[in-house]
Amino acid sequence: MEQPGTTPPLTGAVRELATQVVSTLTSGGHSPVSAYPPVTTGDDELGLAAVRVLGADVLLPAVLHRTLPAPADLAVCEKAVLAYPPGPDASPTSLWSHRAMVRTLAALGAPAAGATLAGPEPDAAWLEDLPWQALTHQLALLAALAVPPTGTTSGDAAAPGALAPSAVADVAQRRTVDIARGFVRAVRRRGWLQAAAAGRWLAHLDGVPRTLGLDAGLEFVGLMGGDDPRVALHLHAARPVRAGAPAGPR
Amino acid sequence: MTSIERELRDRTKVSVSEIEAALNPGEAEGFYRDTRECGILALQAGAGQVLLAPPTPRPKKG
Repeated sequence: MEQPGTTPPLTGAVRELATQVVSTLTSGGHSPVSAYPPVTTGDDELGLAAVRVLGADVLLPAVLHRTLPAPADLAVCEKAVLAYPPGPDASPTSLWSHRAMVRTLAALGAPAAGATLAGPEPDAAWLEDLPWQALTHQLALLAALAVPPTGTTSGDAAAPGALAPSAVADVAQRRTVDIARGFVRAVRRRGWLQAAAAGRWLAHLDGVPRTLGLDAGLEFVGLMGGDDPRVALHLHAARPVRAGAPAGPR
Repeated sequence: MTSIERELRDRTKVSVSEIEAALNPGEAEGFYRDTRECGILALQAGAGQVLLAPPTPRPKKG
């Protein structure tokens, strides 16, 4: 475990940002016509980098609660997307993380994101042939894609559990049992972050084995790893889907 | 620029490679056989809440 003072600044900033997102998710009082308070605290270099790393999950309160995002958050997310585009040697995870941010920004009405979204989706075929352990690891890094479709209004509500469409989500749906295996492995390895992220995917997927005990498994992960705000964030994203109800304070 | 300002600037500087590493980290080492967790799992299993049973292994190819 990292000792106080030894956490790299970027790691600390990402954790702090995740804490703010979780706090907003649990604060209640969300209205479809008023924006929630901003979760970002500034657009300095470290702040923008943290937003780029946490990715589309910075805007998770707006996506889950179907509320307006804070204008400051939209602006900072747009800056982060523009400041840190994936480089020529970027990993597929980085490409997809960037894509998820751009997609969410465009759906929430950020003007600069629309043009970036016009390009093709990154490739996801590489996920198809990964062993289930590696698949779970990679999907855990891409858990920001495990969200309901963005931009649906109350009159056009998505089906409970529906996933925002992406090639990654398609692979996840085809390999549900492998992700379930990965969830169990992550729990047994005490990889709470990976377990929470895999559970977040499974919450959206059809065909999850009943023997998995996903709901109690998620509770257990929260009990053991919930003091990590990134774990708590994934669990908050998963629980409303499992409950089959609109997101709200629990 | 004061030394404090310089220190602050250096501490908040982030390289692209740091971001890439944060977006695509390797898998952390696993830890096993924690008796506290085993105990809680056993209690939950006893209450019929969770088995955490892995799905049946895939049949081997070929």
